[in-house]
Amino acid sequence: MTFDYFNRRLHLYLALSLLPWFLVYGLSSIPLSHGAYFNRLYEDGQPMWTLRFERSYNVPVPDDAELKTIGRRIVRDTGLTGAWGAYRQSADELHVFVYRFRHSVRVIYRIPERKLRVEDARFRWDHFFTGMHARGGFDQDSWLDDFWAVVVDLFCVGLMLWVASGLWMWWRARGLRLWGAIALGAGCATFALFLAAL
Amino acid sequence: MLSRLVRRVHMYLALFLAPWVVMYALSTLAMNHRGFFQPAQSSDEERFQQDKQQIVPLEIAGEIASADASRAVLDSLGLAGAFSARWQNGLLVIHRNDPLAPRRIRFDPKTRLATVEREALTAPMFLERLHRRRGYQHDYTLEDTWAFSVDLFIAAMLFWAGSGLWMWWEMRTTRRLGLVLAFSTTALFAILLIVL
Repeated sequence: MTFDYFNRRLHLYLALSLLPWFLVYGLSSIPLSHGAYFNRLYEDGQPMWTLRFERSYNVPVPDDAELKTIGRRIVRDTGLTGAWGAYRQSADELHVFVYRFRHSVRVIYRIPERKLRVEDARFRWDHFFTGMHARGGFDQDSWLDDFWAVVVDLFCVGLMLWVASGLWMWWRARGLRLWGAIALGAGCATFALFLAAL
Repeated sequence: MLSRLVRRVHMYLALFLAPWVVMYALSTLAMNHRGFFQPAQSSDEERFQQDKQQIVPLEIAGEIASADASRAVLDSLGLAGAFSARWQNGLLVIHRNDPLAPRRIRFDPKTRLATVEREALTAPMFLERLHRRRGYQHDYTLEDTWAFSVDLFIAAMLFWAGSGLWMWWEMRTTRRLGLVLAFSTTALFAILLIVL
């Protein structure tokens, strides 16, 4: 087996292995890039959030609170599962977003009233895709989330390997070097111009 | 003939867009390991260093729309380009999203003094901001051109997937292993879709 052969097979089989992620990142970038258009598609009077329940709840939230600890406790006490993030919306309000690919939940904790409000998000196809796009990182408690993050890393390494193996294949095809160099040079120059002028 | 055309477009498009591929790969790695690459929040003094102060001859009555006022301030300072802005304690605070030299401008409409500060830029921050840059919401042609390049990249991704499948299917000897890999990872993806 020559290196050229290995390189071609690597390029191909890597692509076939990562195809679902490649398509997800490609498709989800459309609503990310054209958010206003997709928002208009869902302007049909239906609310984005629907109340599931509201109840009394008491957890101390000091000004310098460790949001991760409080968020974890709220998620546990409400029996919700999924990736989550806690945000101090205002001095009086703490929000916890619990996210799964097919369903999201928002928990609003009103600190002065000691009230917990749990709301379900409306399913939207654009959010389904953009949610997958944005998911990543190793800051969740679940090993499944870590596994997803590992796949994200593999995808990034895959992208770099596609570039490297693709460049090699192009360079080995002597007849394509000139036009390839023009395409590569034009791309690099355009990118550099953007960096300098944006 | 069609096969040759598909192969050539696949390759030349990839060569042209190679810098975008590298940028998206590196920025995604940086975001996926944010805790490792980005240290704990630094103080305001550490993040911003004063660049210059300048009187901007602008008459701003009250807290008018921050976008209109910001555009005028940036134009006067010769810093036109994408920005985000808000009013804060009577000051107009503008973040000029320059990829290489991000700045914060604080404009006091009473004294008409604009303080320009440079933001300390780290490689992960630079990559993440570039990654998140998209859309046609700004009033600058150059920003729209960048947004178009992002759209072109999206179209290229979908084309690479389609043309890659086409080229693979043409090579009979790779079909079996290719099918095994594609099906097994699609199954893994479907499982993750259900459990996550």
